[in-house]
Amino acid sequence: MSRNDGKKDTSASAFRKIDVDQYSDNNFKEEDADGGVGAPTGPDENEILTLLSQDTLTFRRAFTFQQFHYEIFLNTIIKGKNAEALISVLKSAPLECKNQQVKDSARNLTQKVLLSIKSNQMDDCLAQLDRDLIDVLMKYIYRGFEIPTEGSSSHLLLWHEKVFNISGVGCIVRVFSDSKRA
Amino acid sequence: MCLENFSSQIVEKHNKPEVEVRASKELLLTPILISRNDKEKVLIESSINSMRISIAVKQADDLEKILCHNFTRFMTMRAEHFMILRRKPVEGYDISFLITNIHVEQMYKHKIVDFVIHFMEEIDREISEMKLSVNARARICAEEFLKRVSIQMYCTSIPTL
Repeated sequence: MSRNDGKKDTSASAFRKIDVDQYSDNNFKEEDADGGVGAPTGPDENEILTLLSQDTLTFRRAFTFQQFHYEIFLNTIIKGKNAEALISVLKSAPLECKNQQVKDSARNLTQKVLLSIKSNQMDDCLAQLDRDLIDVLMKYIYRGFEIPTEGSSSHLLLWHEKVFNISGVGCIVRVFSDSKRA
Repeated sequence: MCLENFSSQIVEKHNKPEVEVRASKELLLTPILISRNDKEKVLIESSINSMRISIAVKQADDLEKILCHNFTRFMTMRAEHFMILRRKPVEGYDISFLITNIHVEQMYKHKIVDFVIHFMEEIDREISEMKLSVNARARICAEEFLKRVSIQMYCTSIPTL
């Protein structure tokens, strides 16, 4: 078979641009952990917010009236079930999810929970977490730095210090190296 | 900062910092961003043979912006003397360090870490100091200038008296 039997073949150079490496078998492939139906959808926002404000009834009523003003409630809580809210968000964290939007909404919610816990309540909350949940918490602390708001960073630094005191450098390294990003 | 020698997976006999080429995803670690507010932040990106630390410095007003720009430009133009300095900051940041496995082999790791931390502590102070001295200089200049002007006005006003 002659290589020059058609002029078209010789002038074509598109084949040079083909990335042949993508057809190689020993390429690194990301594990597809989650499928369609069983995919984790992240924490249930209503549930978390209900836990944050202990007065469920008032909350529900107001929630229907002003759906987007629930921040006011967060600010007015004196003593909510903050620790339960924290555990709940961390347990249902969509770490293996591929959808960035789900992750971001979970991040925002976790940020809200973290910021609503006062600095003197932190120790009590951390005492209720096990090691795996603390790792997840650390991931969210680092994610929280990406959306700095007024005073949030200093609060997160305080969280970071407390978590670091409990599980040390290992916790930070696990944030770095885990492929299941928060 | 556990960096090791790692030759390129794509080009034979090449050895590139993986954090820069970003050719294969499995060699990169999660980038971490730490921020005090939206102006002051540090981005740490690491990979198997290199890591990149980018710093955004606080810039409250135009003068600080100019000072910071000139200062970082001064540094980056002399980047080879600073060894770990990246010649161009990462987008959105003022100054970047690029630490490769070679640096870690040639220098003490803890000294590099100390240097970066020291640098971060110093740069804010340096810029505020420069700002103060610029302001002081401007004040002296203005004073001298106005002195001359007033003398001149006085002199020119004599004949008319």
